Amino acid sequence: MIEQRVVEPPQLFEAEKETQFITGSEAVREAIRRANVEMAISYPITPQSESMHLVGDLFAEGYIKEYFRGENEFAVMSSVAGAAMGGVRVFTATGGPGTLRAFEAFSTWAGARLPIVCAFMTRGINSPLTIQPDTIEMAFMLDTGIIMLHAETAQDLHDMILRSFMIAEQTEVHIPVGVFVDGFFVTHTRDKVDIAPADMKLPPYDPYSSPVPVMDMENVPFRQMRDPFVMKSNYVSYSAHASWQQEVMAAAERARKYIHQYLGDLIETEYPDADILLIASGTAVSQSREAMAMARSEGFSVGLVKIKSIRPFPEKEIRELVRNAKAVIVPEFNRVGWLAREIKSVAEDTTKIVAGPRVYGGMTMPPNMIMDEIRRCSI
Amino acid sequence: MKKDIFQISPGFEDIMPAEYRDLIDNGPFEKNVGVSDLGSFKELLEEHPLCAGCGLALSLRLILASLPNPEDTIIVGSTGCSALAFPQVALHNIHSLFGNQNAVASGLKRALTLRFPDKVKDVVVIAGDGATADIGLDMVLQSWFRQENITTIMLDNEAYANTGGQESGMSPMGTVLNMAPKGKKFPKVSVPELARESGCAYVATVTPAQPKKLGKAVVRGILAARELGPSYIQVFAPCPTNYKFKPNETISKIKLREKEGTYETKEYITAEAQELFARLEEGKK
Amino acid sequence: MSLTEYRVLPGPESYLPPAAASMGVVLPDKGSALVEGGIVLKEEAMEKIVDKLLTAKNPVFFPGPLVLWAWKEGVAEKAKAIKEMAEAVGAKIIPMPDYRPKYPMINPAIEINPNHPNLTIWHNKIDACIFVGVHCHYANVALKMIRGGTDCYTMALCSEAGHEDAMISLRDFRIEDLYTMTEMIKKRKGEGK
Repeated sequence: MIEQRVVEPPQLFEAEKETQFITGSEAVREAIRRANVEMAISYPITPQSESMHLVGDLFAEGYIKEYFRGENEFAVMSSVAGAAMGGVRVFTATGGPGTLRAFEAFSTWAGARLPIVCAFMTRGINSPLTIQPDTIEMAFMLDTGIIMLHAETAQDLHDMILRSFMIAEQTEVHIPVGVFVDGFFVTHTRDKVDIAPADMKLPPYDPYSSPVPVMDMENVPFRQMRDPFVMKSNYVSYSAHASWQQEVMAAAERARKYIHQYLGDLIETEYPDADILLIASGTAVSQSREAMAMARSEGFSVGLVKIKSIRPFPEKEIRELVRNAKAVIVPEFNRVGWLAREIKSVAEDTTKIVAGPRVYGGMTMPPNMIMDEIRRCSI
Repeated sequence: MKKDIFQISPGFEDIMPAEYRDLIDNGPFEKNVGVSDLGSFKELLEEHPLCAGCGLALSLRLILASLPNPEDTIIVGSTGCSALAFPQVALHNIHSLFGNQNAVASGLKRALTLRFPDKVKDVVVIAGDGATADIGLDMVLQSWFRQENITTIMLDNEAYANTGGQESGMSPMGTVLNMAPKGKKFPKVSVPELARESGCAYVATVTPAQPKKLGKAVVRGILAARELGPSYIQVFAPCPTNYKFKPNETISKIKLREKEGTYETKEYITAEAQELFARLEEGKK
Repeated sequence: MSLTEYRVLPGPESYLPPAAASMGVVLPDKGSALVEGGIVLKEEAMEKIVDKLLTAKNPVFFPGPLVLWAWKEGVAEKAKAIKEMAEAVGAKIIPMPDYRPKYPMINPAIEINPNHPNLTIWHNKIDACIFVGVHCHYANVALKMIRGGTDCYTMALCSEAGHEDAMISLRDFRIEDLYTMTEMIKKRKGEGK
């Protein structure tokens, strides 16, 4: 283990980087190595397992103080919640069926104001069984209250995981951050990733800056349930629960500022004034970028919008971009088209939105599929 | 001297509601009290909404009074009747979800061990029979397999009481309950034996009809979890509301069941735990 | 109401008022504060707090667990300073000792609870209040309910990032701010205003 020193977040994030040619899973390891994580809990599921093997190696090397394999994803997400309520910085990862097995836990994470960072290596969840890339689980996760970032590349994955701790742990935010990445496409392929020196790590988490008491019998009030039942049958009880839920939503709103600070704008654009905009997240962005290059070389006016933050959603930015475009194409790696729905929910004129092309079940998305849509929109 | 978290800020004593002042002046913190001292100190459980005669409320009072180290005890509960009382308990306690209590406790205990390596932090799970023997059984057993240093206490009222009296794995065979309209078809789940075979250092079944025995089991369970590994205590806590007996009959029902031989109180103690208790209990004398 | 027009004002606002953060109100940066949803300099907000306290019929301080219990260094001094400020105003102090929903119910004359803060406000006819030492989450839960159901003017002294759901809120608030406001109050009272 390399001796590490705590540095202020900007010092780590802006440090001179070394470029490594590594897999997405290895990019996760390098993020966690620098994140001053105290505890990690794992459970195998393809295509996530490798990431948590590598995090386990960090434990063996001494970068993480506690690590174990739980018994299933619901239990792991519960143990992670217990650890977070006990006041430590904790990390875990899952994907696909694991996400759904654990599903009940995620909305309680948000409701309990736990600053957990969890990576989701997405894959198909349907019957028949598939282990192949698919982002459908993100559709289910949209309303759990957690912050959702979607990585396009291994670099994104690394940066988003490392920086998410700083977003999640802000007192006024203090809700979980899920960093989503398309399984296999990113986790199991090699890419160049710029990485800060390994002798630096983030400052530790201060549990007493939490917006709720920590469960350690060292802070007040000592009569405290996480979280108390607000179950009396009267208006004020309902209203307390409603206000609590609003506060969790407000926390996600407050995260916008910190996402800006640590990861830049919630969206990135290339040729945003073009007639046709490709709006995507995850690896669909990479395929869209290919298609855009092809289209532009053929003289089409095409631009690209990469959405990095799904929750909070960049409503204003997307509304504005859709307003100015003649057509919007939303390529997705799932059956349901959840991103197209999201975009339609904020656009003023939904008729110009093409909710596709879509592939699923592990299929790749040839840029030509997107090109076909561009041609159709240009008639 | 009391821990700082139990000190009212000077100047605010007069505005604090009476039950908080009472808790600070007469509570069990750093006092080494037990069930025999009930009535002489302010209890951790404030007014609660459980039914009259509730065996679970009585058991909970006895358990809380028995904690050897309340000032450093964190409880993990689960969904059910007891969860209605837990907001009123003057200790840090967690309700996460139905059945995940031992998984939450595993993460919590390890986190507290990391943060306070030189302090005793007792993590005690207190959950109902549905939470422990049915929906959460895998997580209960797995926490035992992993040898987590936590104490698991089941409040066994032999039914899902909070949802309206449905059959649970702990209901006696033949009992007619909701969702068992023709009577339960299989016997009570043998959780104590599961505990013993799964690596618990100390296992006991007790009842609130014998408060001292219950208190001793709680202390032993917590000491075993501190030093050796997981421990399990099953507390018979009959439910007058769903088993339709009078609130003042709770204790007599327990005694009747013991006499019939349908609720046995017993202890399993590993050799290691025997040695530990001998050392600690001898040391106290 | 459009996002930009939303102001955080005394209610009763509605059956279920929104979180101000969801209506476009943002927390201030260091050195600034929030007044009715708008960002102002901290000093201006402190003036306004003093003004609201001195012009209210029944101003009340609601100290929360973080100051009611002397759980860490500096709290006892802060508690003393809060008491002195309340005394300078002539305001009552009603504590929020913890956050449990209390059975069978609270005594609204002597305490406030974040799950049903309206009971205490209504019972005591409180028209201005100060939240101090309440964990941020519970403060926000309570502040919205107060805005929804009462006409009380809410102010929050927060040692963290502040509260959009209060009508006035300070962030990074320290004991010196209490001393400053107490001095301002004494001065204003001395001037017979």
